Formats: sequence, structure tokens, C-alpha cells
Amino acid sequence: MQELPRPVPLGDRDTAPFWQAQAEHRLSFQRCSSCNEVRYPVGPMCPECRSFDFEWVESSGRGTIYSFTVVHHQTHPAFAVPYTVALVEMEEGPRVIAELKSNEAASPEIGTAVKVEWVDHPKQPLPVFVPDQEHS
Amino acid sequence: MTIRNKAAIVGIGQTEFSKNSGRSTRHMALEAVTEALNDAGLKATDIDGFVKMGANNDVFEIDLLRSLGLDNLRFFAEIPHGGGAACGTIACAVAAVTSGMADVVVTFRALNERSERRFGESTVGGGVGGWMQYNMPHGLVTPAQWIAIYAQRYLHEYGHTTEEFGRVSVLTRKHAATNPHAMMYERPVTLEEHQGSRWISEPLRLLDCCLDTDGACATVVVSAEKVKTLTGTPAYIAAAAQGTGTQSEMMTSYQRTNIARLEEAEATGKELYRTAELTPKDIDVAEIYDHFTPMVLMALEAYDFAKPGGAPKLFQSGVLELDGEMPLNTHGGHLGEGYLHGYGHIVEGVKQIRGTAVNQANNVKTCLVTSGTGVPTSGIILSQEAY
Repeated sequence: MQELPRPVPLGDRDTAPFWQAQAEHRLSFQRCSSCNEVRYPVGPMCPECRSFDFEWVESSGRGTIYSFTVVHHQTHPAFAVPYTVALVEMEEGPRVIAELKSNEAASPEIGTAVKVEWVDHPKQPLPVFVPDQEHS
Repeated sequence: MTIRNKAAIVGIGQTEFSKNSGRSTRHMALEAVTEALNDAGLKATDIDGFVKMGANNDVFEIDLLRSLGLDNLRFFAEIPHGGGAACGTIACAVAAVTSGMADVVVTFRALNERSERRFGESTVGGGVGGWMQYNMPHGLVTPAQWIAIYAQRYLHEYGHTTEEFGRVSVLTRKHAATNPHAMMYERPVTLEEHQGSRWISEPLRLLDCCLDTDGACATVVVSAEKVKTLTGTPAYIAAAAQGTGTQSEMMTSYQRTNIARLEEAEATGKELYRTAELTPKDIDVAEIYDHFTPMVLMALEAYDFAKPGGAPKLFQSGVLELDGEMPLNTHGGHLGEGYLHGYGHIVEGVKQIRGTAVNQANNVKTCLVTSGTGVPTSGIILSQEAY
């Protein structure tokens, strides 16, 4: 079945490198060059020390489920219900939204260890989270 | 210096709330504004300022200016961030009339949100920028889904069940059931019906979600000095404030230390009580923004009526019933009366202060009205007396 178009992230002058990294299957965050604070979502200034200088660092891809929702009422043709979206607290600190894919029938649980895998959607590859058996 | 009781709402107007108004939002806005002016004993030509809400708005102050045949507006503003803006429009109007930048400021909200563009719908296809770029590509595309993330964490933090959400729904619909203006007039629900309603986005069920509504509301705000020249009953504005909290985003402030708390509402509440020189115990009736039931619980905690996680107890003790110590959402709120993005709450707050509400609470001297949460928010405290 052909995949229906999902909303495509429009990178701007701040976020374009973030999405380019995702196109190459890397989840990356900004790290302040002055105070080493990792920040997300993407922004031009470090909220800790107000430095504009930063570098991109790649996430380990591992984290734990902080919250989630199982969507049952379909509102968008690209997303067949039911599906699960998780807010995952990554090892580096930021919390990231992505779909949670699991072969297990049981409901997701907050605190479960997960890791990033990549899905090549036509216009923008995106991460999904899957259970991380090694770290659970 | 504070703005405490230096301005008042002297006029209110509202159309019927329905699934299909059959007329334009501009038409309804003009009806509500006309009613509010008549209520205040003022003429259209007395208006020299407008404040409106932003998101999903297609009626501009200049559309009203042209229809009303006004010569000029010397103050106009728009408050951003959807339902969080409702009381913010009143706060802005207070700033205008107490500073002398305007004399008579009209605020309004007009929506055909059921019959035209539905707020709960997602935008299909295309590119998304700003805060949406991190959420929508992953299927988190509607307000119910964004709020579900907060709600799930709230249940987790405090060990509550979705029955606690259900009690919000039951109480609110009970009040709507005796309000002839409500879309859900004579249609109360039970906790069993709540628990049996279909999932929208877990842990939110259909009966946790507000209605979609066609309708309009308006208010007239003037200074306390100007009140003396008018014949109507004023609702003095003891406090009006906006708040953001930390790391604020539109609907998805997920990076905060604890998303089971509403920082924006905590900040707004502190400012309101400080300005009004009141405490939560002094509030006689509360009209709390109810887009989704869990946010009512979290807001009651943020405005300090209960400790974090403690709001469900208020629903079991009877405090929030019409004959309780602090009746809640006496008009039936967004869940039962209609969803005017917080404007129905403001109109109801004024009626409670005047003693003219359909579900009138006893001995109302003060009323807290709050606006949308999960977004930068706002609130007002209305008072019968200019103390």
C-alpha cells in the first residue's frame, strides 16, 4: 500500500541541520560550546549561559518512556489508528516525540527502556522508538 | 501600583451556541458586541478600542469598525496562543483603559468552529514549521493528542485513574444540564457513560474532550472612573494577568521538569492573588478553562485550590457543586455549554458577580476566571465591590 503523505518538517535556518542529520539517520542535539549544556528543541542561544556557540552531538538513541498516548480517533489520513506516540527522555536529557513500535500486545509503560530505529519516509526519514531489550 | 479594581467589565453579550449558526463569524461578533454595548448603556460610537484573540480568528477589529461605521480606533491589539488568550484580552483592555490610551474597549470571540473549520482537525499534508515540526510528522497532530501526553503523565505521577477525569465531566455536564443556553442542556452524563465513551487518544475519552461550537461573545471594559457615569452593574477587575512558566511552547511544553504541573497557570495564579490581595480561600466561584478534563484538575492545583495531585478530592467532597464552598464551571463550561475558547467563562463570571446567572451560586463576591492551559495562559479575578 502506498504511504499517504504525512506532515513534513520544514527546516528553518536554525533547524535545517537537525533534519539533515535525521535524513542521515542521526538524532542529534545542540551542545553549548561554552557551558556544555545539551539543549532541545533547536534554538540559537544556550538558555543556561546565553552563548550563541554550539556544536551538534549525536544522541546514543537510548532513553526511557516519560509519557505516551495511544491514538484511537483518526484525524489524519497518513496515520492509521491505533498507533502509539511516546515522549521519550533520552540519555542526554532532552525529551523527544516519536512513534512507538512494538510487537508486544501489552500497553506501553512509563519507564520502559527504548531505542531509536529509522523509517525512510519519502520526504523525510524519521526516528521511531522500539523496546530496548538490552537495557530494560 | 497595581490595576486592582481600577477597571470593570460593564457589558456582556453572547449569541446562541450551536452546531450551525447559519451566519458568518463577523455577523455573530457584531450581534454580541451590540448586545454588550446595550448592556453597558453605551453607543457604538463610544468604542475607541478593540482587543481580540489570535488563533483561529477570522474577524478583525477593522471588520467591526467598518460595519459599525466608526471613525477611528485609537487602541487595538491581538493576544496570541489560542484559548490561553481569553482573559489576556481583558488584561490588555485593562491596561488600555487605566493608562488613558482608550476609554471604551470591546473584547470579543466569534467562531463557526463546528460548522466551518473544526479546531480538533489536523491539517493534512504539506510542511510544518515552528514547534509543530517536532510533533506533527510523528502523528501528534491535534490538541487532544498533545494534551493526552500531559494527562498520561498526570495519572502516572499521582496514581490516579481515568475515573478522576470522569468526575470533571459529570459535574460540568450537570451544570450544563440546567443551563438553557448550553449545547448539552438537559443532557447530563454519568460516570459509567464517561467510562464507556470511546477512546480519542488515551487516556482521553470522548467525554473528556470539549465540544466544537458556533457562537460569539463580547465584553465592554472601562475604567472605574468611567463606571460612575454608567447605570449598569459592573464586575470590577480585581486582578488580570498572563503567565508562561518555563520553556513554554504552544501545547507541547514537554521539556519542563514535571509536565504533570501547569507552570503557566501557577505563575498566573500567583500574580492574580498578589494583585487582588486575595487568597484561594477568598474565591467564591471558579470558571476554569475546560478544553480537556485532566487540565481542569491540573489547573485547580496550579491555582492553589489543592496540592499537586490533590484536585480529584475536590470532586468527591462536594466543594465544587452549586451549593458547595466554591462552585465550579457553573454554566457547564466547554464540555457542556459550548467552546468559545474561554469567552463563555468570562461572560458567566460577570453574571455570577451580578447575581443573574441561570445556575447562580450563593453570596458571590469574587469569581476566578481562567483561560487555556498547556499554552501561555491568563486569568482574571472579578469582584462585586471595588475594595
